[in-house]
Amino acid sequence: MPLLALENVSKAYAGVPVLRGVTLHVEAGEIHALMGENGAGKSTLIRIIAGVVAPDTADIRIDGRPVVIDSPATARQLGLRFIHQELNVVPTLSVAENIAMGAAYPRRAGVLVDWSRLNAMAVEALETLGITHIDPCAKMASLAMGDRMLVKISAAFLAQGGTPARLYVMDEPTAALSREEAERLFAVLREIRRAGNSVLYVSHRIDEVMRLCDRATVLRDGNAVDSGSLADITHDDLVALMIGRRIAEAYPPQTAAPTDEIVFAGHGLAVRAGEILGIAGLAGAGQTELLRTIFGRPGAAWKHRIAYVPRERRAEGLVATRPIFENITLPHLEARALGGTWLTPRREKRFAARLGEEVRLRARGPAQAVQELSGGNQQKVVFAKALAGDPRLLLLDDPTRGVDVGAKFDIYTLIREMTAKGMAVILVSSDLPELLGLADRIAVMRGGAITATVAAKGLAEEDLLDLCYGRGSGVEAVA
Amino acid sequence: MSKLLRRYGTLIGCAIILLVFWIALPGTFMTARNWLNITEQVSMLTVVAAGMTIVMVMGDFDLSVGSMASLSGIVAAVLFTFGYPMWEALGAALLAGLVGGLINGTLVSFVGIMPFVATLATLTIYSGAAFVVSGGRTISGRAIPDAFGDFARDGISLGGLTIPNLTIVAIVTVAIVWVLLEQTTFGRRLYAIGGNLEAAHLSGVPVRRLKLVAFALTGFCAALAGLLYASRVASANPTEGSGLMLNAIAAVFLGMTMAEHGEPRVLATVVGVLILGVLDNGLTQMSVDSYVRQILVGIIIVIAVSASSISKATRR
Repeated sequence: MPLLALENVSKAYAGVPVLRGVTLHVEAGEIHALMGENGAGKSTLIRIIAGVVAPDTADIRIDGRPVVIDSPATARQLGLRFIHQELNVVPTLSVAENIAMGAAYPRRAGVLVDWSRLNAMAVEALETLGITHIDPCAKMASLAMGDRMLVKISAAFLAQGGTPARLYVMDEPTAALSREEAERLFAVLREIRRAGNSVLYVSHRIDEVMRLCDRATVLRDGNAVDSGSLADITHDDLVALMIGRRIAEAYPPQTAAPTDEIVFAGHGLAVRAGEILGIAGLAGAGQTELLRTIFGRPGAAWKHRIAYVPRERRAEGLVATRPIFENITLPHLEARALGGTWLTPRREKRFAARLGEEVRLRARGPAQAVQELSGGNQQKVVFAKALAGDPRLLLLDDPTRGVDVGAKFDIYTLIREMTAKGMAVILVSSDLPELLGLADRIAVMRGGAITATVAAKGLAEEDLLDLCYGRGSGVEAVA
Repeated sequence: MSKLLRRYGTLIGCAIILLVFWIALPGTFMTARNWLNITEQVSMLTVVAAGMTIVMVMGDFDLSVGSMASLSGIVAAVLFTFGYPMWEALGAALLAGLVGGLINGTLVSFVGIMPFVATLATLTIYSGAAFVVSGGRTISGRAIPDAFGDFARDGISLGGLTIPNLTIVAIVTVAIVWVLLEQTTFGRRLYAIGGNLEAAHLSGVPVRRLKLVAFALTGFCAALAGLLYASRVASANPTEGSGLMLNAIAAVFLGMTMAEHGEPRVLATVVGVLILGVLDNGLTQMSVDSYVRQILVGIIIVIAVSASSISKATRR
């Protein structure tokens, strides 16, 4: 009997169906992946389970017993816990305080907080999940993203309101985590599974899902297109299920070889026209800082035809409230305005529409506000903005983070097209297969400096990872 | 329905207010004469609010505009009493506004103080300066040139009606601010800063320099408004600008309730100013006590903002 059984879940917003009779079964003691592209209906389904959104039709059972989840409080009482992408933590308070928040603080003499018992409680909650490296007295702000998430999970684990946790629902938990942090999270999730509880794991990252999860349910256009054991399915089949078509290769092939003309040299690296130079490294090894240093003063950089796609799309890349065309022309406004001053919106829109086509942007038109677009399309706007000035050097900081599979392939194709035209690209990525699939050479960073530069061709992922960790490997460095 | 209300609620409310006054004040409210009167009454506020819109586009505030207006009137009047020619005195007053604005801009963008705190500090500084320069007295009488006092009383005749000079100055100011914000790269960049400062910076927008210029323009507008007021009453006193700041911010907010993404737009600000002006005019004619008027204006701002899309609670 499944722990959580959803049958015939439907929901429409303003007549537009988002979920069409979806079935989802999560067994006790399993890690179940919920997969699908942006807009497939994953978040609506989760919000229904969380009691935030009321379904049009739904038959929900927990341990075979029919239930109605009409509020987040009900979901809690049923033993369901939700860990959101944006962690609601209070950074100025300690780990223990964040864990105890929501539950009652232990008291001394009725009014005073019993700090030692509070800390003991926190240690217990952490240790239940096998977490021993986090100090309960540390300020939340001093913790890395991954550790914050572990604290949040421990907090959710505390039995609040009498019901122990049965099922954790995690929405893209590794989006902001480094590789090591993600590994640590996986260990905790396996611990949860070992104790007979379950995890519903929402993610785009196929490799991660294949490694961690037992079974998966794939949503596409509001339908549950398939559900089953991950042992019986290949990576490519899963991609095909998610996007509804088959992609022959994960990475488009190179069409032109790099030239000998060096476009940029400095900071221990050099990149030639038509070349993709990958930069690998563990999280926080200084990749973002290196790109920022190369980029330098933004105004001057754009003028020298150096374009930059920053790591945080919404925080650094886009003015989300403004239309697409204003975002695309922003760094190149002087060149696009009459006499450098007077705006020509009609010409700007035509220009933006042309670039939108080039980057395969799906939007109503150049005047649509960026915030109305999906994550992948927003990233394409950032690319269009970077390409609008016809750059010689393109700096990319994790350009496919949080982008779904279809849009990812579009972006890879675009990068290939650009290098074929002679652009030089420096690509920072936390996704090692992506670096191996795209880059000509890969520079490895450790502790803020480049420690090795290797040819990407024929390099194994394990060897690259060894280099990132600074472990010796038999890979020969190239200039 | 609720979406429609959120978008056009303020305009619908506007129409209701107009209708009420039209019915309650037959023959006096809906006349060309009264409307010209309203535009003259709100001309100072229009100029200040147009300037305020410039900094609010970037998501900043300038709380010092009221005391800057007072200071500018005082500077001009004191120079009149020392016998300086009119144009030099007026130029010095406007220059004071520009310098005051540059100080605000420097504090915000180069020293890095929050606009709220920085301009709260300069509010008291400029206000204190106005008292020091004037000795705390109202400056009036023979020292004020006749031409200066006459300016506010005169106007341009147009088909039997006289358009007051103050109204014309307000219209010209709004037109210039509109061109700056909507037609130039300067305005586009200010909106980008307001939408996402970090993204604007990484796109090569010179954020600090633009903030400095924007605050300078706001200060200049405040000083201009102070001169309009001084001309109207043919005198200057160190508290003449009090009330301008709150009303200017209120007008921009009322305007923001009408914009698509809740951003400040100068023409919407003008509608906001007119709402405040019409309320003032109509309620005065209906002999409603001025303190009750204040309460009503406050309530209307709360309703307009909470019903519109700029209230956070309705956005999600």
